[in-house]
Amino acid sequence: MKSKMNFLLLEYAINAILRRGKKNIFILLIFSMLVFLLSSVLFISDSIKLELNSVVKSLPEITLQRFVAGKQSDVSLSRAEELLSIEGVKSAIPRIWGYYYFKVAGVNFSVVGIDAFEDQYKESLQKIVDSVDVGVLEKNSGMIVGEGVKKVLEENYYKDFFNFVTAEGKWKKVTIAGVFSSDISLEANDMILLPKNTAYEIFGMDKKMATDIVVKVSNPKEIPMIVSKINLLFPDMRAITKDDIRVSYQNIFDYKSGFFLSLFLICAFTFFIIIYDKTSGLSSQEKKEIGILKAVGWSMDDIIKEKFYESFIISFCAFIMGLCAALFFVYFLQAPLLRDIFMGYSKLKPDFILPFSFNVEMLCLLFLLSVPIYIAATLIPSWKASTLDADEVMR
Amino acid sequence: MIKLSHIHKIFTQGNTEVVALSDISLHVKDGEFTVLKGASGSGKSTVLSLIAGLSRPSSGEVLVEGKAISKLPDNFSALFRRENIGFIFQKYNLIPTLSVRDNIILPLIPQNPSEEVLTHSVNHVMEKFSIAHKADMLVKNLSGGEQQRVAIARALINKPKIILADEPTANLDAKLSNELIAILKQLKEENTTIIVATHDPLFFDLDFVDAQVEMKNGKIV
Ligand SMILES: Nc1ncnc2c1ncn2[C@@H]1O[C@H](COP(=O)(O)OP(=O)(O)OP(=O)(O)O)[C@@H](O)[C@H]1O
Ligand SMILES: [Mg+2]
Repeated sequence: MKSKMNFLLLEYAINAILRRGKKNIFILLIFSMLVFLLSSVLFISDSIKLELNSVVKSLPEITLQRFVAGKQSDVSLSRAEELLSIEGVKSAIPRIWGYYYFKVAGVNFSVVGIDAFEDQYKESLQKIVDSVDVGVLEKNSGMIVGEGVKKVLEENYYKDFFNFVTAEGKWKKVTIAGVFSSDISLEANDMILLPKNTAYEIFGMDKKMATDIVVKVSNPKEIPMIVSKINLLFPDMRAITKDDIRVSYQNIFDYKSGFFLSLFLICAFTFFIIIYDKTSGLSSQEKKEIGILKAVGWSMDDIIKEKFYESFIISFCAFIMGLCAALFFVYFLQAPLLRDIFMGYSKLKPDFILPFSFNVEMLCLLFLLSVPIYIAATLIPSWKASTLDADEVMR
Repeated sequence: MIKLSHIHKIFTQGNTEVVALSDISLHVKDGEFTVLKGASGSGKSTVLSLIAGLSRPSSGEVLVEGKAISKLPDNFSALFRRENIGFIFQKYNLIPTLSVRDNIILPLIPQNPSEEVLTHSVNHVMEKFSIAHKADMLVKNLSGGEQQRVAIARALINKPKIILADEPTANLDAKLSNELIAILKQLKEENTTIIVATHDPLFFDLDFVDAQVEMKNGKIV
């Protein structure tokens, strides 16, 4: 059967929404607030997950740390050579790095020592190092900083140099020779790259030592075996694998998700109260209107169709409004307030940009949990009223 | 043709039962003009409502145009009403927050007519009942008489074969009442079946009335 869209009915529905303007604006606001909150949380957690995943992916397969008296302590450079004797180890790269706490701004920078003649433990780092002349950098006492660092320094009037306080309590002036951006923003954003010798000086380290050693393997399946061999060779060293880190990140996130799940439930609860309120009955005026429509010859189908238009328009508009507001809030405004709750674990780090991530499945779920439920909540009482005798409803 | 046979209508309200109609039988032929009179509470409105299929009898059968409207499924009785019956309600039953025009077009909406047909029909009835000048006013701001005219216009917009009018002149002055009667007379000449429930004496000695039915306590006397 060919059926033409009944625009008169649609017009009637729009008119009906406007006639009950105050009530509908209230519903629209609550509804879109809810969608906004939930999708914001969704966007932020997705975005951070995406970020963390790329960080984890770029991590070395095995990191070796030496522990003395329960504290991490420096490793002798010679151990890197010894590690190469273990079968399956492709390379063992000693790293000179640490955190530098910039008191004025209250943030931590990651300071990484680089060396022109040495392979870097990570590709992204290698690219940066390849693009600068470490020799020149060393001669001029320079450093390259991540965008986040650059921003923090500029805010504190360090335009082209920075004074580090070394382990010996002396000033060490280092000029800013360049800024790098990286696609892995969460990690690279707070990073300072400078020549190894400068790093030794700032950290007050023995030049025969390294902070830790990063091991690359030829075959990832051999990691457990290699780790046990390393444990035999150096009982004072602890091996951290990529998987360990992934798990600890996930734990942080599961905790956060739990927190937000409860928030989610509270919101959902509010929503269901509204729905309950709606299903528990129509106002006598709305009931009477249904009776009148029936009396002048509207069938039940016509009435239900009209109510469907009404509730669809309201809930769909609210959904879209909430969604757009969330997109704007999260990706344009970078989610003020909410972001802090999520980013607790890296509070001491400079800001980074939330990467765009759009989880279609979750949004569909959100849509299905809100719009059809609202529509059903509107249709059921109207349907009930329309099954009664018109005479009865009009009284 | 309208035929009521042995109709009983009992309303139950809590524990009390109100017998609104008891053993009503009535036969109105096509094109006839019937006046239903009787004291307040005698059951006039209840009869009209049964004929229109707005409520169902407790027992007995209502036949309208050969169809047992009281036994039709809901959707069919709505369709039947839309195509055949124009009902002028005693309490108007207008939607107060809609404009005059939007109230009048209500019966047309489910048929999805073209804009042209719609505008033509609505303008025609609005002029006929002298409310065209208030077309865009909200019904709640109208006087009683004006609301009554809107109710009449709405009942006639579908050009129904049957008109059921419940106290149509209750709020009209003498001039407007006579105008309405003239219109009803004209409709009768066009072979419309008309039943008017009223206690307005204006209807009692009209020459074109075919039958006067008097009701008392839910019975025809
Ligand atoms: N829905 C209802 N519930 C209970 N009682 C009802 C209902 N509808 C009508 N009645 C009762 O049925 C009887 C007949 O009512 P009806 O409205 O048909 O009278 P009427 O002749 O139209 O009176 P009036 O001239 O005042 O309009 C009244 O006693 C009324 O109280
Ligand atoms: Mg009455």
